[in-house]
Amino acid sequence: MSTNLETTNLKTDEMIINMGPQHPATHGVLRLILKLDGEIVRHVEPVIGHLHRAQEWQGQNRTLFQYQALIDRVDYLSGMFTSLAFAHACEQIDGCQIPPRAQYLRALVCEMNRISSHLLWLGTFLIDLGALFGFPFYPFREREKLLDLFEEIAGQRMMFNYIRIGGVQRDPKPSWFEKVRKFTAEFPDRIDEYEAIVTQNPIVLKRTKGVGILDKSVAMDYGVTGPSIRGSGINYDLRKTRPYGIYPELNFEIPLGQNQGDTWDRYMCRILEMRQSNNLINQCLDKMPEGEISGKKQIAGLRIKAGEGFSAIESPRGVLGCYVISNGSDKAYRIRWRNPSFCNLAVLPSLLIGRPISDIMAIFGSIDVILPDVDR
Amino acid sequence: MSQTDTNKPNETKEMELGKFGKFLKDNGIDSTRKDDSINVETIVISVKDLEPALRLLKTSSETKLNMLLTISGVDYTDRIDSIYHLWSYDHNDALVIKVELPKQSQANTDTVNLTSIANFWSAANWHERETYDLVGIRYLRHPYLRRILNPWDWEGHPLRRDYKQLVDALNDKNPHSFR
Repeated sequence: MSTNLETTNLKTDEMIINMGPQHPATHGVLRLILKLDGEIVRHVEPVIGHLHRAQEWQGQNRTLFQYQALIDRVDYLSGMFTSLAFAHACEQIDGCQIPPRAQYLRALVCEMNRISSHLLWLGTFLIDLGALFGFPFYPFREREKLLDLFEEIAGQRMMFNYIRIGGVQRDPKPSWFEKVRKFTAEFPDRIDEYEAIVTQNPIVLKRTKGVGILDKSVAMDYGVTGPSIRGSGINYDLRKTRPYGIYPELNFEIPLGQNQGDTWDRYMCRILEMRQSNNLINQCLDKMPEGEISGKKQIAGLRIKAGEGFSAIESPRGVLGCYVISNGSDKAYRIRWRNPSFCNLAVLPSLLIGRPISDIMAIFGSIDVILPDVDR
Repeated sequence: MSQTDTNKPNETKEMELGKFGKFLKDNGIDSTRKDDSINVETIVISVKDLEPALRLLKTSSETKLNMLLTISGVDYTDRIDSIYHLWSYDHNDALVIKVELPKQSQANTDTVNLTSIANFWSAANWHERETYDLVGIRYLRHPYLRRILNPWDWEGHPLRRDYKQLVDALNDKNPHSFR
């Protein structure tokens, strides 16, 4: 037996560590099987599906009217968007007209939902970075106001079932619009407040600058969309590139990442996006026309024409698509979701390999994945 | 649901080739055009042409369909379609490619085979795993083809039209079951 104790002969082994599915920073039930060389990640295998609720199966075994109430659960932080994607696909197959007031109300609630979704992301992202005390509750203060507004028009705080095939469900009272105005008037100050604490904070900069650089070609190969790819400098936002609804009539800019597409860029994109959304809400309120709110009768036996179509919208996480095959009855023949979180999560291993284990949560937090959206 | 599925959507008639169909024909790949899905060109190509066609459409500077939105599997009782939705990061055109795979037998556990494109298109990796899991299309030469949403010991493919859940998941009395 050799007694040589020279350091060059010391053997190190790779270690396999299981992270999740009950890890507090994996935003739900993501499980990562990590292969570590000391502190450095050598291999990652994400294991998903712990939250699988068979949404596609439900879609083809329930009537369209029943299914409308379920799809908010696909992505519970941005329920308006999942409803909108589904309604959009059905309307385009059916060819029914949406009244202008419904279009504006849809854009209005969607932009409010975008803000509330980004606010929750901001809070949890900072928890991931270790800011456990105090600050993460600042965004929740504003989010609470938005949820109260949603509750007033939809009756629920998170599972809205507000956007329906053909239009929207209820016409808000004039006082509701006043409350929204009050919110948008004070919200830019609140973003300034977050930025004052976070944006140039040396600890945040150290944790995020140059960390998790998402290369353009890698991102495009994986089909990454949303703020994650705009952080890398690719100008791809469906509201501009393939405008839907009333977005062509509104004025707004698409914030892009200024550096190479690191975690800080993705953070900054979302912050700027919230400012743009606030601006969009104001424009919707100014231009809100009067009139009908639904172009299709909301009955339990609601049916659409036969046909098939794919429709996609820009959700807070990227391109949210819904592929519907209809045979003309009250049930769809097949419903297929294209979830931004599912596609964005697939790029995670290529971002983590070669990074220390402490960066995992900063990078994972910055691509803003929501697990029910991954698993459906 | 029985094998004679009367709710099946009507078959569509063939149409003249569109922009991308012509491009593929110029490059020696035959396709037939089907009814548009909401103004988007929809073509059907054969199994052997799938990989060269997608490779060409992704990289060619003429088409630049470099965004793979989703791969869906649809069970039409007598055949299974693998459907590819292609968009682009650079322009606004879109294309839907369908590959029709006839079923060998009627058994629910029976899978149909198709070539994987995950080797040159990373986005396809998870979509193919999901389609394998839920619809049961076996993508050959896939780097890591195993169930992604369902547990590894799940039986059958839930989005087949004739799928029947084997046990009651909530009141499972089978001592050997993992659920």
